[in-house]
Amino acid sequence: MSDPVLVVGAGLAGLSAAAELARAGLPVLVVDQAQAVGGAFHRQPLQGALSLATAAQDRRWSDLMAKVAAQGSRITLALATQFGGVDHKGTALLTGRMNRLFRPRAIVLALGARESVRPRPGWTLPGVETAGSLQIRLKTLGEAPQGRVLLAGSGPLLLAVGAQLTKLGSPPVAILEAGRPFARPLTPIGLPRDYWIEAAAYLSRLMLARVPILTNTRLTAIRAEGGTLVAEASSGRRFIVDHVALHDGIRPNDFGMPACDVLPVVRLGDCREALGARAAMVDGQMGGAALAARLLGRTAPSADPELARQTRAQARLARIYAHDVTAELNNLPEDTVICRCEARTLKDLRTLGPTPTARQLRLDGRFAMGACQGRFCGDWIARLTSAETSKPGIGAPRWPARPIAVADLLSATDETEGETQ
Amino acid sequence: MSAETHYDVIIAGAGIVGASVAWHLAASGARVAVIDAIGPAAAASGASDGAVSVASKKPGPLARLASASLLYTRELASQGVLAGAFHARPSFVFGQGEAELAALDALVAKLRAISGPVHVTGDGPAAQLACLGPGVERLITLNGEGHMPGHKAVRAYLSAPGITPIWPAPIHGFDIDDRGVTVHLADRRLRTGHLVSALGTATTELFPTLPIMPRAGQLFVTDRGAPGLLPGSLTAAAYLVAKTEAPDVLPLPPVVIDPLTTGQFLIGSSRENHADPNRVDFSTLRRLMERSVRALPLLAERRVIRAFAGIRAAVSDSLPIIGNLPGETRVTLATGFEGDGICLSALVGREIARMVHGLPPTDSIAADLATLSPARFVDARQEAWG
Ligand SMILES: Cc1cc2nc3c(=O)[nH]c(=O)nc-3n(C[C@H](O)[C@H](O)[C@H](O)COP(=O)(O)OP(=O)(O)OC[C@H]3O[C@@H](n4cnc5c(N)ncnc54)[C@H](O)[C@@H]3O)c2cc1C
Repeated sequence: MSDPVLVVGAGLAGLSAAAELARAGLPVLVVDQAQAVGGAFHRQPLQGALSLATAAQDRRWSDLMAKVAAQGSRITLALATQFGGVDHKGTALLTGRMNRLFRPRAIVLALGARESVRPRPGWTLPGVETAGSLQIRLKTLGEAPQGRVLLAGSGPLLLAVGAQLTKLGSPPVAILEAGRPFARPLTPIGLPRDYWIEAAAYLSRLMLARVPILTNTRLTAIRAEGGTLVAEASSGRRFIVDHVALHDGIRPNDFGMPACDVLPVVRLGDCREALGARAAMVDGQMGGAALAARLLGRTAPSADPELARQTRAQARLARIYAHDVTAELNNLPEDTVICRCEARTLKDLRTLGPTPTARQLRLDGRFAMGACQGRFCGDWIARLTSAETSKPGIGAPRWPARPIAVADLLSATDETEGETQ
Repeated sequence: MSAETHYDVIIAGAGIVGASVAWHLAASGARVAVIDAIGPAAAASGASDGAVSVASKKPGPLARLASASLLYTRELASQGVLAGAFHARPSFVFGQGEAELAALDALVAKLRAISGPVHVTGDGPAAQLACLGPGVERLITLNGEGHMPGHKAVRAYLSAPGITPIWPAPIHGFDIDDRGVTVHLADRRLRTGHLVSALGTATTELFPTLPIMPRAGQLFVTDRGAPGLLPGSLTAAAYLVAKTEAPDVLPLPPVVIDPLTTGQFLIGSSRENHADPNRVDFSTLRRLMERSVRALPLLAERRVIRAFAGIRAAVSDSLPIIGNLPGETRVTLATGFEGDGICLSALVGREIARMVHGLPPTDSIAADLATLSPARFVDARQEAWG
């Protein structure tokens, strides 16, 4: 039996790619750390939980699942399974429900985007999370968290999460949007029709529930006070809430993966370029077909124009939400935590001088030395220092892609033994 | 000296050796500049364990120099400059199986012969330390050694007054004339009376005929946990053997488990002939971890958060290169420390500073130091590197 192609991520991009690879006759192993398929966008509710998906979304997902099912045993799915990385010999480590060391024929990384959260005073307090992780919880549990929720940051995801909270009977106290998406009424005109339909649905739900959407408003600080959170807005307003969900946009997931010379490793969907759900499916399909062609020595299929359309749409969205992040960073108080894992502050960063090297940041400053290894703080550290000097070392392309439990490493079935190195 | 001369001494390389040389020279009143292609501790010194250890040294000159350097390091730690960098602690060497138990006998004999700063304070079953597991048949406890993270020492040395840091600035070459040395950077030239080259593996960029090659060592770091569970480094006796013999004759992998002050563990390391700091592999990690967990079972509850390779500068005869370039009193070399540079750095800095000032080496180590002179390679240009 030939080695499978390993697809990491059972979202739109990963499963679309898996279906194409299998259709070309290749065995495929799809793994996902989550308990359910769907990725970020189509995360399926747990058994018995209320689904938040619209009819159109459900249709898209069941179409894709039908394509996957049609491939029968050519596609194996392993959930609750983490990808630990691939080394220079082409050995990949899986931990969790499927626990093995093996050499896949190729790897598709469809890990989705990284959500970015700008550091601000209080962002590490209990009760503060990212809007993306709150959304996943809403989608899997089908119920809103207890208490008052404030959404803040920037980007269309805030509106989506706000609308979903409202649908679950718990509208957010307010949405603080740092950009001014409604201030340039002509810019959105170029967006594709489906973007409009989606935005209109979210906005009408939020307006009906009278959720204040405060644009040009930043959340400047969060404090814990008597069991609640006090959030300060740049407008001077204060919100007393139980949960704060932050979101400052999404980024492609380029973290922690070394180039591997012995087998093809491709990145697809939001993991390659954060273009959203529509693009992820197309990218998965195209990328999967192209990889299959490459592995089987056939000619690659031609590019789908849909991808270019989505790239333009996302660029337009970025313009609509554009705001001055540099000014926000420059105004941070000295004691703001920048590296959460090691509790390193802006002051700690400043003591390293204006242009610390990657080694100085890590070894002298202990930035990006914790469990996340710079995955979350790396971009901000780069922006707060000199981008050229700090970038290469923080978030260097090396496994582990995530912390690896020693017990899992030792209990993995080693299927590489006896193979030449 | 001509008006162009900018520095009394230029030190090429801001690793632990260059930093120590710079500090010693600055302390003696010289105006020094330290130039590095990237920055402080950018190569081996920032990617190594920091054992200041005599036990792991080859018997002979290296073991004697390591003893002297350990004593001197302790002195610098109590007097100030290395106070925050060096910390004294016990070390433990363990063995399992015939070959390793024999290596432990040899270790005890070697330390007795040196009768230096390191003493055997325990020798027996694993029960001496409560946290040890079935992978330890015999344990030797040593007193007198210590630990010094390379980057901490570099930072301490370079923060002294009188040292001008210049980085990032790769040195492309140099010219010697009868009044001094011109050092070539990408965009300018600097003049100095004396050049000290402490470039580690990169030494061959400026001195291509020296038989120095990169030897990588993979290191793995765990997450944090309660500190103090293991009071000092735990080294497999195979590690002592690995330093003198080919690693593939070893029945069990040479592993060093180092408890860091953060409560993390550093686990290393392999010996591979390449220079790629990103080349780390699961099979090495698993091999080292299997043995580590048998020796220290609590590791099974930890997670590995970081993997990287440090690149050592290895010399064909496994000895460092310390001394003036043959026939040149204005250029001094200090390189080829392989796995011993953290330990030897204090002593080497002091001795190179003496050489630069034209002073003879410290008496007690003069003979051992002489064996490390680059003069041993004057005819080596045609010799094959095996
Ligand atoms: C895995 C591992 C574990 C180790 N464990 C120990 C231990 O426990 N105890 C111990 O004593 N030793 C240990 N060592 C060895 C020790 O780390 C080295 O011997 C020591 O750091 C060497 O220091 P150095 O200053 O000679 O070289 P380096 O630290 O390599 O410094 C060389 C410097 O030169 C710079 N450079 C290179 N080219 C140029 C150029 N053209 N122009 C300007 N600058 C340049 C580099 O950027 C670098 O900063 C270990 C090493 C490794 C890899």
